[in-house]
Amino acid sequence: MDSDKLKVRIKLFRDKKSFEVEYIYKKKSLNERPMVLDVLLQAQEEKIDDLSFRYGCRARNCGVCTVDINGKPRLACRARVKDDDLISPISTLPVIKDLIVKRDGIPRQMIGYNRIPFKNNLNVEAESSYHNLTACIECYACLDGCPLHKKNNLEVKNNDAYSYGNPFSFLKLQRLYIDPLTPEEEKKGIIEKAKSLGLETYKKEYKNLKIKCGVGINLKDEVIKPLLNAAFSYQNEKKNK
Amino acid sequence: MDKNKIIKLEYDVIVVGSGGSGSSAAQAAAEAGLNVIVISKDPLASSDTKICEGVMTVRGAGDENDTEEELANNIKLAGGDLPDKKITEAFAKDSKVAYDRLREHGLRPSINKKRNTPKTLAIAMGGHNKSRSVGHKNSGLSFGHVNWDTIIKFKNIAYFEDCWFLDVVKNMSNEKIVGGIAYDASNGKLLSIKAKAVIIAAGGLSTLFFPKTDTMRGNTGDSYAIGIRAGAALVDMEQIQFLPFCLASPPSYEGLLAGEPATGSFLGVLRDKYNKVILDSVYLRTRAECSEAIMRAVADGRGSPNGGAFLDMTANKKAKRSGKFFMEYLKSALPSAYDNARQALGKEAGKAEVPWEVRPSAHYMMGGIKVDEFGRALSYNKVSNKTKKIKGFYAAGQAMGGLFGSNRLGSTSLTEVAVFGYRAGKDAAEYVKQNKKKIDDTHFDIHHKKFFQLFNSNGKFKAYNLKIDLQRKSWKYIGAARKKKDLLAMQSYLDGLDEKVKDVLVKPNLSWNQQLIEKLELQNMILSAKAVTLASLNRDFSLGGHVRLDEKRKRIFSKPFSTLILMDSSSKLKLEKIQRERTNFITFIKYKINELYRLYNAKFIRILPDFVKDRIIENKYKKILGSKAESIEIQAGSLEAAPAEINK
Ligand SMILES: Cc1cc2nc3c(=O)[nH]c(=O)nc-3n(C[C@H](O)[C@H](O)[C@H](O)COP(=O)(O)OP(=O)(O)OC[C@H]3O[C@@H](n4cnc5c(N)ncnc54)[C@H](O)[C@@H]3O)c2cc1C
Ligand code: SF4
Ligand code: FES
Repeated sequence: MDSDKLKVRIKLFRDKKSFEVEYIYKKKSLNERPMVLDVLLQAQEEKIDDLSFRYGCRARNCGVCTVDINGKPRLACRARVKDDDLISPISTLPVIKDLIVKRDGIPRQMIGYNRIPFKNNLNVEAESSYHNLTACIECYACLDGCPLHKKNNLEVKNNDAYSYGNPFSFLKLQRLYIDPLTPEEEKKGIIEKAKSLGLETYKKEYKNLKIKCGVGINLKDEVIKPLLNAAFSYQNEKKNK
Repeated sequence: MDKNKIIKLEYDVIVVGSGGSGSSAAQAAAEAGLNVIVISKDPLASSDTKICEGVMTVRGAGDENDTEEELANNIKLAGGDLPDKKITEAFAKDSKVAYDRLREHGLRPSINKKRNTPKTLAIAMGGHNKSRSVGHKNSGLSFGHVNWDTIIKFKNIAYFEDCWFLDVVKNMSNEKIVGGIAYDASNGKLLSIKAKAVIIAAGGLSTLFFPKTDTMRGNTGDSYAIGIRAGAALVDMEQIQFLPFCLASPPSYEGLLAGEPATGSFLGVLRDKYNKVILDSVYLRTRAECSEAIMRAVADGRGSPNGGAFLDMTANKKAKRSGKFFMEYLKSALPSAYDNARQALGKEAGKAEVPWEVRPSAHYMMGGIKVDEFGRALSYNKVSNKTKKIKGFYAAGQAMGGLFGSNRLGSTSLTEVAVFGYRAGKDAAEYVKQNKKKIDDTHFDIHHKKFFQLFNSNGKFKAYNLKIDLQRKSWKYIGAARKKKDLLAMQSYLDGLDEKVKDVLVKPNLSWNQQLIEKLELQNMILSAKAVTLASLNRDFSLGGHVRLDEKRKRIFSKPFSTLILMDSSSKLKLEKIQRERTNFITFIKYKINELYRLYNAKFIRILPDFVKDRIIENKYKKILGSKAESIEIQAGSLEAAPAEINK
């Protein structure tokens, strides 16, 4: 390939069929090292005016631009393109059109999860473990390789929620669990919710669990392990009583 | 028209947008026991609120003497007396409670243990006369989680994402709101929703200037277009805020924030391409002054290769004693902006050894739908010189106008969205409870028909390409620098574009139809651009975020007025001017003297011999960085902070 061009393959999904198209990216300068998003924007301008993909901030913050690059989830706005890369929709959620997947089955499984009453003193600081979790941009890269999420039936049906959880939903629960303002009596409910989303499976598969966060949160140590511990010791307590 | 392509729904309140103002509005209405539907075109809570720098104005957080009056006056004066007094007062009144509501949903700031208040930034933000800006770990993301949690929490809130709200539906005989229609792209349906109240919380219009913007792609002026089509007036639409120091290259980083005036620090200057200084004491200047200096150089042909100027901080770096403190300051003051700059401009630039190429970017729309202090949208009648409520119609957040006038101080928008989102939601709930009458289906028919007329299999033009052209023209003609001649050219360009949009290709399928989405957004962008252009033509002097290259700055004693844009029955836009109340003379003079004092102080330091200067500056850094060490780590970006303004 000429040094002022880059060839990529984009996987499109239309009329229930999936197929690949080739796009030759024209660099804006010889030393440009474009991101995947730059390529998609140019492809929409030059060749496929109805190319459908998500983006928002272009700066790794909004979390909506995740696509698979050669089969692995990446943020389109911060992943550099190499010659012959394959850009496809993330494989862990149902595709609606081209690179667009339906996302809302994930948040919907959390409806009503936060029932904390507000009568606390608000001038309390949270530990850094709490803030480590608010770094999550909800990019859903962590669905890849999640043994629980794999059990979900991904067929698109209106606005239904998924039954089984994933690292993101557990991150939300763990964040609530370690919030210094969450009263002790509420913690039981949080663990129950985690269990209803299938936390048990994580216990069984913990050793082989390969989940990777798109922004580098240590999901195993900071989310899964503490939740498993809490779920386990909570049961003990019950037995003792 | 196909009946099974339409889904009919009924709720009490429709909230458009799931950012900060949308989630606060939904919360208020849900707490009142109503059934709420939140519609957002981006995934849940993905919004400017989520990607922002997360610094929020909380009255009294850093200073007991920060009264409501003090804060309200501060906003009003900074906004050139254009802000609406009742709205600035509501802002000052509610900022604390609004902040606590966010904390109830998990926003966790650092705490100043001595005062038992949220900890404010070590340096007051430029333009604020009190320390009241609170920073947060993970910046806007921490707000994103709160908004997400708030919407998910209530069982009486339904939400639809990937859904483009198109227009409100009114009962034409009594002008009351009866609902709205939306395009549900992921389910491939038209939603036809009955509701007595609609709250527009759909953000701004900066995408008009893409890629010269740091905001979310969804800011296509939908709020303003929906608002004016529903009969509301738009206020101060010429007042767009541009951030001066954004990146001009490489393409992937274009438009993103590199720094604020404070980044320039004590010795930073702006230079043109001939290396001539075009602005000194950068750190004490407002965003507007910096933008103006850059845009004037560009207009004179002295701009940098990508249409900006050079922010030269090398003198800070070279200084013998204070140089090393400068680097520490640069990296810690605005970490995410610094990261952008270092990644985009390379290692040498990262060390401030070479100047940075910077260019203004569109950041925030200060104008918007005219509302009262409860977010109730207003129409305007010229003859009686009176505003009138549009019953059931509300706007909040960036969608509304009247709070900031010609200048928004850093960290105030997060407060705006929390305060007015909630006020609008609460008022809407009260209104709906008093209006029990059943809504008739017939009001919706014409909207359904119009929707299906958007498709055109034989269209000649592509909406996406028209959009790109509009974005280029917008920067050139209604961007950070404007001229009467250009504004007139923009008007005729937009009229031509209107004609082309009628002939745009939109294939007739409903499942995620990108051509339809592009067309809908393009229409809203055109309408918003028209409002901006018409308002700018009537602001015939420089005031606020942009510069009029062919006119003078505002004279300080001239009478303040706001522009109003209205739509007449033939869909033409008209302009009116309304007078604004001037802040009393003494308060005004005090404010000005304070401003001048700071500037002269800085100039005085600059003319001292190098070794004296170096020492003075070293001490200043020690003060800032010292107090910084005990303060929280902020990834903040929107510090307009001036290091000299340190609060003791
Ligand atoms: C990089 C950056 C940094 C900033 N830093 C700060 C800061 O530190 N402090 C501060 O106070 N302010 C800051 N701001 C400004 C502030 O973030 C925004 O002004 C504020 O968040 C706007 O909130 P909003 O609720 O009005 O709109 P948004 O948060 O933008 O939400 C708009 C919502 O409307 C939806 N929407 C739009 N159109 C439609 C439609 N037609 N149909 C359905 N849904 C629609 C979108 O999907 C989105 O959900 C910053 C902004 C940026 C871009
Ligand atoms: S946990 Fe990490 S990978 Fe998962 S959604 Fe959040 S940021 Fe993305
Ligand atoms: S566009 Fe926002 S994370 Fe990529």
